[in-house]
Amino acid sequence: MTDFKQIENNLKKEAKRLLEAGEVTVVLAYGRGYDEKHSMPFAAKTSADVEKLVFNEYCNFNMARYLMRYPCGTKIAIAAKAADSRAIVQLIQEEKVRREDLIILGIPAYGMKNQKTDEVVDSKTTCGLYNPPLYNILLGEEVHGQPVVSPYEVLAEYEAMDKEARWAFWKKEFDKCIRCYACRKACPMCYCDPCFIDQSKPRWADKAPQSPGNMMYHLTRFHHLAGRCIDCGECSRACPVDIPLYLFHKKVAKECEEMFGQAAGMKLEDKPVLVDFRVEDSDKILE
Amino acid sequence: MLKKISINKISELAAALMGKGLLLAPVKENSGYNFAEIKNPNQVDLDFHNTIASPKAAFFPHKEDFIKYETGKPIGAASVIGLSLPPTFLFGVRPCDVKSFGIMDIHFNASGIIDPYWKQRREVTTIFGYAFDLEKPAETEEFYQTLGIGAADPEGSDVFMIKKGDDLLLDSVTAKGEKLLAELKNFAEGKVTDKKYYDEYIKKGREYKTRSMCLEPEAITKKLEDLFHNTDFWMGVSSACLSCGICTFVCPTCYCFDICDDTLFGQGTRRRVWDACMFTDFTLEASGHNPRTHVYQRLRQKVCHKYSFHVRKYGVISCVGCGRCTKHCPVNIDIYSIIEDAMKA
Repeated sequence: MTDFKQIENNLKKEAKRLLEAGEVTVVLAYGRGYDEKHSMPFAAKTSADVEKLVFNEYCNFNMARYLMRYPCGTKIAIAAKAADSRAIVQLIQEEKVRREDLIILGIPAYGMKNQKTDEVVDSKTTCGLYNPPLYNILLGEEVHGQPVVSPYEVLAEYEAMDKEARWAFWKKEFDKCIRCYACRKACPMCYCDPCFIDQSKPRWADKAPQSPGNMMYHLTRFHHLAGRCIDCGECSRACPVDIPLYLFHKKVAKECEEMFGQAAGMKLEDKPVLVDFRVEDSDKILE
Repeated sequence: MLKKISINKISELAAALMGKGLLLAPVKENSGYNFAEIKNPNQVDLDFHNTIASPKAAFFPHKEDFIKYETGKPIGAASVIGLSLPPTFLFGVRPCDVKSFGIMDIHFNASGIIDPYWKQRREVTTIFGYAFDLEKPAETEEFYQTLGIGAADPEGSDVFMIKKGDDLLLDSVTAKGEKLLAELKNFAEGKVTDKKYYDEYIKKGREYKTRSMCLEPEAITKKLEDLFHNTDFWMGVSSACLSCGICTFVCPTCYCFDICDDTLFGQGTRRRVWDACMFTDFTLEASGHNPRTHVYQRLRQKVCHKYSFHVRKYGVISCVGCGRCTKHCPVNIDIYSIIEDAMKA
């Protein structure tokens, strides 16, 4: 794998070139935060901004989250690791962004770390793919081979639980929720405006951080992401009370893959599984 | 009165306090420490730097039920949920967080409408402040020194605690604290050398280094007023902001709330729930108009409220530099850096 410093240099070089040539008006990538370890999402708009770009193992942010802040037609270059690139593919499929407006700066990388715990995230909380499925320019050498660990391996313990145990598990986890909505705000696929939970007519769930409302919020969000979640793990990383949201998303993604033979955001020509109908589709969901 | 207790025997102190009422102290949870009701004296653990959530919830819970009602019944049939509070001990609050209670008092307990819930909780609660460990460095996110708060400031606490080797020294700050310490007869009084150590520790706490800059309330207020319409500046500092509510929920001085009626099968509760200025619907009006539709407007509101409007209205900055907002922000937005940038802009 190309080392992170080299990727950072390539990122700066490409960003500078694209901005100076006027090919894009903004480069969505990562900048330095309040110290070395804490990078942050950064939008470079001038070639002077380019010097502030960084890339290191803590750049987990999914920049696809920020794409929809720009009016349609804005030419954007976006740094994308594997899962981020999947998010972009999914957003293109859902017609939220246009392929021709984007220059995707693919980042082939593994060994990204969670800044809070310093744990390697790879296939534990993210999809763990090495290479972005869609890109214009690759900022490092393509990593050969397939990830050794399947993104669904982390589900073993969860799947061993029976129905009651799973229900008890989620009830306990949801009780921790403080309803800061960081999970939905960090999620590139959560773009509904307004989100159902913010609606007041009708009010779908109470505002207080307590069990029925928390349950309503999370279960609805979980299911709304069925077949759409690209497994970037940002919801779980953003959560201040460490609810393992990725478990549910991975479980649903796994079932979708088994039933429809398709993972979200992998191929531009695919349709999201829940808007596509084929006669040969699995009926397992109805059983 | 100065008392000395071995840290190993902290559970005995916890048990003594539990015998007198409700004890709230930092408890280790999966993701870190948080204040919680102590059920077992062995749960009390002083091996923490600071808690994830601020201790404001001890006086201003995330949700507070006010009224129970049934739909279709006359208003007289609704019942007010009263408070019946036992004496409460809030144990192990860091000096910067203790300062926040004074700031929150301005809104809930000082002038205009007095909030009975906040007031009653404040009255029954004895605050045990706890100095930061001066042997250990401050966390990078903290900046209470900027706001003139020392790492071992006893003001605002009833009893103030410091660590001396394997012991804990407790000194009374208020008459309430003095009375309580006198009642704890099983614990030995400190010696003259302990008192000397304690006084020096408090003094040393003023020199304890966190991130700091020279910050005159008047200067920053003026600066932010001048910058208010500088959209480029606010767009720049908020470009990463996700507009979630973490920073306001963990903040010890954020006090915005919403009153909601929740009705299910005819049974309703009117309650107060924390709200956050970072939420899109915070300023959404009944007409459908929203004066703050952009992320930059909401972040600007948060920063200006704390460092500008609050100073104009009440004379103090509404921030204690605990660094929680920075530490828990999923995209590492740092209010200290924003203020620094604003001063330079």
